[in-house]
Amino acid sequence: MSTVELRRPPRRPKPAPGSKRFSPLRAVGLTVVGLFTAFNLLVLYWLVAASFKTPVEIFTDPFGLPKHWFALGKPFRNFAYAWEQAGFGHAFLVTVLLVAACAVAIVLISAPAAYALTRLGVRGANGLTNVIAIGMGVPFQTVVIPLFVGLAKIHLTNSLFGLFLVYVALSIPFTVFLLTGFFRSLPDELEEAAAIDGASPVRTFFSIMLPLARGGLITGLILNAIGLWNETLLSIVFLQDNAQFTLARALFTFYGAASYQSEYGGLIAGVAIVVLPMLVLYIVLARRIITGLTLGAGK
Amino acid sequence: MATVSFKGTTRYYAGVDRPAVDRLDLEVADGEFLVLVGPSGCGKSTTLRMLAGLEGVDEGQLWIGDRDATNLPPKDRDIAMVFQNYALYPHMTVAENIGFHLKIQKMPKAERTERVLAAAKLLDLEKYLDRKPAKLSGGQRQRVAMGRAIVRRPQVFCMDEPLSNLDAKLRVQTRTQIASLQRELGVTTIYVTHDQVEAMTMGDRVAVLKDGQLQQCDTPVGLFARPANVFVAGFIGSPAMNLLPAKMTAEGASFGGIEVGITPAQRRALTTGEAVLGVRPEGWLITDQGVPATVDVVEELGSDQYLYCTVEGHPELITVRTQGLSKRQRGDLIHLRPQQDALHVFDAATGVRVAE
Amino acid sequence: MVAQLTPPLTRAPARVSGTTAEHLVGKKRLFWPFLLPALALYVAFLVLPTVATAVLSFTHWAGAGDTPTFTGIDQYAQMFASESFQDSFVNTLVYVVIGGIGTFVLAFLFTTVLRDMRGGKLVRAILFFPNIVAPVALGMFLGFVFKFQPGKQGMANFLLEHLGLGAVKFLQPENVTWAVTGSIMWASAGFYITILMAAVDRIPPYLYEDSDLAGASPWQKFRHVTLPLTWDVVGVAGVLWTINAIKIFELVFVLAGPGTYSPPIRAWTLGIYVFDRSFGTQGTPEYGTACACAVVMIALVSVLVVLLRRLMRRDAIQF
Repeated sequence: MSTVELRRPPRRPKPAPGSKRFSPLRAVGLTVVGLFTAFNLLVLYWLVAASFKTPVEIFTDPFGLPKHWFALGKPFRNFAYAWEQAGFGHAFLVTVLLVAACAVAIVLISAPAAYALTRLGVRGANGLTNVIAIGMGVPFQTVVIPLFVGLAKIHLTNSLFGLFLVYVALSIPFTVFLLTGFFRSLPDELEEAAAIDGASPVRTFFSIMLPLARGGLITGLILNAIGLWNETLLSIVFLQDNAQFTLARALFTFYGAASYQSEYGGLIAGVAIVVLPMLVLYIVLARRIITGLTLGAGK
Repeated sequence: MATVSFKGTTRYYAGVDRPAVDRLDLEVADGEFLVLVGPSGCGKSTTLRMLAGLEGVDEGQLWIGDRDATNLPPKDRDIAMVFQNYALYPHMTVAENIGFHLKIQKMPKAERTERVLAAAKLLDLEKYLDRKPAKLSGGQRQRVAMGRAIVRRPQVFCMDEPLSNLDAKLRVQTRTQIASLQRELGVTTIYVTHDQVEAMTMGDRVAVLKDGQLQQCDTPVGLFARPANVFVAGFIGSPAMNLLPAKMTAEGASFGGIEVGITPAQRRALTTGEAVLGVRPEGWLITDQGVPATVDVVEELGSDQYLYCTVEGHPELITVRTQGLSKRQRGDLIHLRPQQDALHVFDAATGVRVAE
Repeated sequence: MVAQLTPPLTRAPARVSGTTAEHLVGKKRLFWPFLLPALALYVAFLVLPTVATAVLSFTHWAGAGDTPTFTGIDQYAQMFASESFQDSFVNTLVYVVIGGIGTFVLAFLFTTVLRDMRGGKLVRAILFFPNIVAPVALGMFLGFVFKFQPGKQGMANFLLEHLGLGAVKFLQPENVTWAVTGSIMWASAGFYITILMAAVDRIPPYLYEDSDLAGASPWQKFRHVTLPLTWDVVGVAGVLWTINAIKIFELVFVLAGPGTYSPPIRAWTLGIYVFDRSFGTQGTPEYGTACACAVVMIALVSVLVVLLRRLMRRDAIQF
């Protein structure tokens, strides 16, 4: 039955007949997808390359490799300029601390709320969830003026703590909505088992439900961290003092000055300092970020 | 109507060296009901999907009627398929589901409606034409899937385990319905299942596959009476055939201390001094002299009784069918001897049947 | 106000009423302690300020140092009559409607290709990339792309000139709306592609196989399988788009303007209008007018979202 014989399997099995049939829609689609993908990769290359270039190189040779600063033996000149002169170094530190504190606080406040809304069987909880979710649709511009006036009265404008409060509060609708999805998907049995074992409700929440919803909590942390890292409008309104600038805020202020002084190299290095940490985070966590962001919408 | 021929048809999957279907040669006659059966992963579904055009053919050819269909896109093959999960469109009504293929083929609406109605009538679905699949029972969904295949009036039906999602009782019922429907329509049908009872009761012929290779293709009676190798022998029939290793002696073959006669032709055909004897549960005689066996389990079915016995030196239980309601108990000692005409002899080295 | 913003949530399994088990009573006591911090912040920072904005929109108020005086609908009347508001409103609608149609057409086109594409996951990750970049950084980057300065052209004009075509003043007031629309589509398409693809991936593959057997073309597969079976997600994505597009601010502010103060009026959005009249102005702030515009924004969100959900409504599909 089995004769010894060398048979080499094809490297790629044949596709189903007809699946590679020409279709105008498919052809257009493939072209657009190809162009789009290539453009995004080009953008990334341009950004990284330009952050090492002189303004002349940036505009006369946008797709070439950086040469000038390398030739002078100061390849990181733009980054040094942005970090020192434009204050991005300090802003980086401020942003990391602020964003970390906010993300943790948001999840700490939202997780119990999401749990209460989904798993306690309280009548009207679904309606309340919807009310909170509606908050996602409120543009920041709608609340920013009263918030500014109100916080100014208690001297919390031009203050990182004031911005912290605003960030945490305005991130709650999205995070609660995201986490209700996670808590709702957890099985009832474990909670019931814990109750039978005599664990108190508070204890059940902390030792059973929170660990189970860990994936959701981490997703919430990451998504909020990305959102707040990139947030600009509120930081412009609530921070005026250079010493308290976040990265996006610093970039915003630096933009005008840099254009004026033709300090484009330093500016693009500044952009890179804002973008690249998120890019690294994205490369490491792409799947979680994407599923997290689409979870609320896809459900 | 058309014949279907697989000519050395081979299919590989990416990253797997062993082909999923290996040089399959199989001729299906016009109007025949052929069942492909085998354990999971044997390549039966892949074979069907190649025929439907959902998978490419890596080597060999595939003919439908007098056309080489190897590289023909699915829609040009004039086949219809019933999927295991029925593949009903959840947003379409029953009527829309049944008529979907006709709509894609741009059939005029009047003709389409007429055909859908005819199919619905045949399958007793007229009352449900406006319902969505979610509002149907499992059996009704199955019939809608059948309707979608029938309405195309194809040359060949492909059915991929269409009954596996039904409960046991409905499955038996639908089995006969499908078989009689096929006979009525006379459309060549290739039917995939892992259930050998389904295969034996429905097929004109049954093709047994294992590891991508065709083991045997024969009528149900032929498969049962003359299994081509040890695998087919063990796979077809329930409970399974007893397969007993035996040593060749001067008089015949010896198993458990008794001699069983085998023909000179069989003896000559054996490549080594060892054979595997196959005896179906109903092929045993309970006599005074024979292999001593202890009854381990008694399974009473009323009409029949199955005894599962241990025999010294043989690791597996031996199944024996006896008359129902006989008074045997666990622990009884009986003596077994195979009926001469119920004996199957296989080569121990190759597993192939040795002809009488 | 923003009724039906979110998709109907799947209901938690109905619990058996009647006698409530002991542990459930204990659990219910947790409800308010657990919910209160979040709810308090929500009310204090979102609900009350929204109400305050609505009230302030009927006053004239120059901001700090001034006291609000009730002026009825004067603020609205003046605002609707002003060219800057009209431009802002039209631009915002262009971004929401034209940008939205463009983005979704693009996303749909991608779903027909990405579903069975080798390396599709990697492509999706690359397409998603602009969504993790700060809009302010995107705006600056696009400023470089669209820069018009003979001899020192941005990337777009650099390419146009090398192709032998003339350079275009993309950021001139008369062109900037379209440059921004294109930019928004580029920057956000990845997000909506990802959402739609997540829905497409949940469609059972055998439905596409059956349509292959029927001989359906890619367009027919999209029309008869993909679109109907992702309809609900398309609806939610449409709502998200509307919300995000109406508040668009940083990208336009930086791309179309000098950066530190407002861009030319022709490029304004409602978000820029609010900012310019309150925090970004070089003259006296007009908090009352800014609030009136903020009310218009939230009204626009509500109207468009309700309209969208009404248009997209249809029976739920289970599969």
